Amino acid sequence: MKIKHAILASLTLGLVFTSCENGDDDNRQSLGDYDRGILISNEGPFQNGTGTVSYVSYDLEVAENEIYKKVNGEDLGNIVQSMGFYNKKAFVVVNNSNSIVVVDRFTFKKLGEIKEGLLNPRYFTAANGKGYVTNWGDPNDNNDDFVAIINLVDFTVEGTIPVEFGPEVLEEENDMVYVVHQGAWGYNNKISVIDPASDKVVKTIPVGDVPNSIAFDDADNLWVMCGGKPEYSGAESNGMLVKINTATNTVANTFEFTTTDHPKQLDIEDNIIYYALNKNIYSMPASAASLPTSALLENVSFYAMRVDDEKLYGTDAKDFNSRGDLTIYNLNSKEIIKTIPVGIIPGGIYFN
Amino acid sequence: MAHSKTFLVVLMVFQFLALHAQSDNTIVLEEVVLSDVKLLHFSNGRKVSVLKDSVIQRNGASLTDLLQFNSTIYFKENGYGMISSPSFRGTNASQTAVVWNGININSQLSGQTDFNTISPQNYKDVVVRSGGGSVQFGSGAIGGSIHLNDSFLFQEHYDNKLVLGYGSYNAKNINYSTAYGTDKWSLNFGTTYKTSENDYKYLGTDRKNENGAYNNLDVKATVGYLFSKANVLKLYHNTFIGDRDFSGTLTAPAKDHYKDVTSRSLLEWGNFKDHKISRLKLAYLYEKYRYYPDKEKSDFSFGSSNNMVLNYDYKYNIGKFVLNGIADFNVITVEGTNIENAHRNLFSGTFLLTHHLSEKFRYGINIRKEVVTDYDSPFLFSMDTNYQLTDNYSINVNASKNYRVPTFNDLYWVGAGAVGNKELTPESSLQAELGQLLSKENYTLGLTAYYIVSEDLIQWKPNDAGNWMPVNIKDVYNYGLEASLDVRQQWHNNQLSWKNQYAYTKSVDKDTNKQLIYVPYHKITSNIAYQYKAWELYNQLLYNGQVYTTSDNSDFLQGYVLSNVGVGRTFEIENGISANVGVKINNLFNKNYQNVAYRPMPNRNYQLNISIKF
Repeated sequence: MKIKHAILASLTLGLVFTSCENGDDDNRQSLGDYDRGILISNEGPFQNGTGTVSYVSYDLEVAENEIYKKVNGEDLGNIVQSMGFYNKKAFVVVNNSNSIVVVDRFTFKKLGEIKEGLLNPRYFTAANGKGYVTNWGDPNDNNDDFVAIINLVDFTVEGTIPVEFGPEVLEEENDMVYVVHQGAWGYNNKISVIDPASDKVVKTIPVGDVPNSIAFDDADNLWVMCGGKPEYSGAESNGMLVKINTATNTVANTFEFTTTDHPKQLDIEDNIIYYALNKNIYSMPASAASLPTSALLENVSFYAMRVDDEKLYGTDAKDFNSRGDLTIYNLNSKEIIKTIPVGIIPGGIYFN
Repeated sequence: MAHSKTFLVVLMVFQFLALHAQSDNTIVLEEVVLSDVKLLHFSNGRKVSVLKDSVIQRNGASLTDLLQFNSTIYFKENGYGMISSPSFRGTNASQTAVVWNGININSQLSGQTDFNTISPQNYKDVVVRSGGGSVQFGSGAIGGSIHLNDSFLFQEHYDNKLVLGYGSYNAKNINYSTAYGTDKWSLNFGTTYKTSENDYKYLGTDRKNENGAYNNLDVKATVGYLFSKANVLKLYHNTFIGDRDFSGTLTAPAKDHYKDVTSRSLLEWGNFKDHKISRLKLAYLYEKYRYYPDKEKSDFSFGSSNNMVLNYDYKYNIGKFVLNGIADFNVITVEGTNIENAHRNLFSGTFLLTHHLSEKFRYGINIRKEVVTDYDSPFLFSMDTNYQLTDNYSINVNASKNYRVPTFNDLYWVGAGAVGNKELTPESSLQAELGQLLSKENYTLGLTAYYIVSEDLIQWKPNDAGNWMPVNIKDVYNYGLEASLDVRQQWHNNQLSWKNQYAYTKSVDKDTNKQLIYVPYHKITSNIAYQYKAWELYNQLLYNGQVYTTSDNSDFLQGYVLSNVGVGRTFEIENGISANVGVKINNLFNKNYQNVAYRPMPNRNYQLNISIKF
């Protein structure tokens, strides 16, 4: 889905950009070794070591780990949190090294690195010809969180936008950037809307507690999965699925879970909503009037999960100190198609 | 009290710790001069090695340095001088107990001891006791225990020593110690201050260890008063104040800073009556740390613990039996940024028995049971035996059940992304060991094999909500072989000592059948020291074999050989005054090595020490 929005964004900007979404352009020339496949960002060992990126071709026949090191002969850095894309570039966000490594998304050749102006960077998205990166700042300080504005030509931080604490994933839609405030090491409950024309927060939308993932449906509604506060917080609160109309930036609908239910890993594909809850995976049409009662897949839980082209991709981080794996399910037959070893703590799944 | 004998006894006791049966007379002497007699009497079937002050001098910077080169323990250091944790016989960092004058001083917060926060200087010796010792020494004595002991000398003496050192990375150290004694009093005081920029070069890169500066101050004192033949009062104290920047890694810079204070005080009253010895001990242990995630800022998180110990120990020598009952009461309180006021009361009863069946055959049976307020503690036991087959050859066998209790962090942590688990139970471990010792005039050869099964090991892992939480999940077995060879030669003005140790360690996760991370299959140490008249020349060699850094054994660190070389000369200045000048080169081969992944250790470096005894 992310890719689709990137395409939309680039079209709006009048940029020439060939689509690379799975399946829609199989005949075009390959743009590099890592074209037409899934990229997995692996956080790497928590305290010391490096994160990595793995590649798996869409036909699942080719799988390669540590592709950045293979191409560039160096380590990415400590805790590869996520990746974001802009045109032919991928921005690899390295949390604990406070850097973003910029690579050609298809060849994985290093194009540059942003080392200054980031503090605990989390996620990247592009809008209005600029990059936007959420930063926790000092995790112990709830008043220094910001979104860094990235110059996409010279790869520098050219400005910052102070935001509510705990910004995580962010995405562009309808010329606005939506930032999820999960709450870093604490708990927050907001979505902030940044106008990339002015680089200001134009609206803050309250949602449920601890929003953890977002996706857009075909009508450009923003869906926000809120996990709720966990039991050990001492103030457990229920999960909530919130639908936001991006034309008005107001809450259009809310689906409540029970207090002990803490859903996560929302994704939307072909206007169907997918999410994980209590070791099950659920799905519902974006038009549904109520939450589903029976599960799509049972007894599975993933460290990261995405849905694409009738397949579900889920990662297993195992004991967080060994190589994880990626399992691909056929959503029609609900059978496992394949399980592929990837890197340590596979936290991000991207369709290249 | 035969004072002339005292010194002799101290030496003898420590040199032949596990070998010699004691006569009644010496028993009383030991009780007076030693701080931890249990170590001596109830370690029959154990491998015990004693590192004397001459050895401590050569690796005196930290307990890590000392044991790295003089034991089979593997150390994980987050950069030189940073947090350092041991793996003893393939066990984890909280399965080695550090015992100070008979009291377990592992942190109540983490369950471990940071071996870079213990200064081995100013102790008469450091004892490495391999294998389980939870009955005597409490939680964490699974792989083994490290003992720091003070001793007392009740005779006329007054000795002073001053050591000044300077080395690479602008490292400076100063150490002063003084000892005074009469037939009634024994006083010792020692202090060490160390500081270093510690900005060593990361070999193979153009970078340096940017955030690794440290300094620390260690103060210790003992007072002993023999107020009658039957009564002795002893006071022990040790305070360590550390101040460190925390080194980054090859992939992440650091700006963290860490301050810690540990303080231990022990008051002990000993009463000796014929064959009955009773001791009453009152101890107070305090620890506090402050962690600054950004040293430029004033924000910090902290943790602290207070531990009051009341201990009564009654020992009875009857014929060939030594019986010892111990009652121990602990009141522990902990607070910190991530722990609300938590406290624990712990009562333990211990019974120890040693029977000298004959001159050649001894065995011991020891049991312990605890009652604790916040978890259930298992019944512990150990059985050991020593058989002196010939004058030169002995065999020892032991079996024991040991444990490691959940720490306050494990139980009560509340914080971002992590949460403690009040349902935890202690880790438990069963082990057996067979050792042999062949001792001749010029050499000692030791060979030990052991097997350890550990259950319910506590491991932090993310729970369903994605928060890290400790659970009793892992079962592990370890087995290994340890060999040691000490050779000594003396002729004319020459003296040669060559000490070697080898350990083969297998430490396996029962679920996966994989070797645990940071446990080398092979470790070798070899130390040779040669003295000619006033000159001394020595070489220290260390081989750490390959270690895995991921639990599926997919990544590893290369093994490496390290060598240090030193030379020294002693000058007799006048009667009673002498000076020693020593130069040491560490990492002679300029080896690029890491014992924790992505954390480089120092390149070749130099150290100059001048000491004066007066």
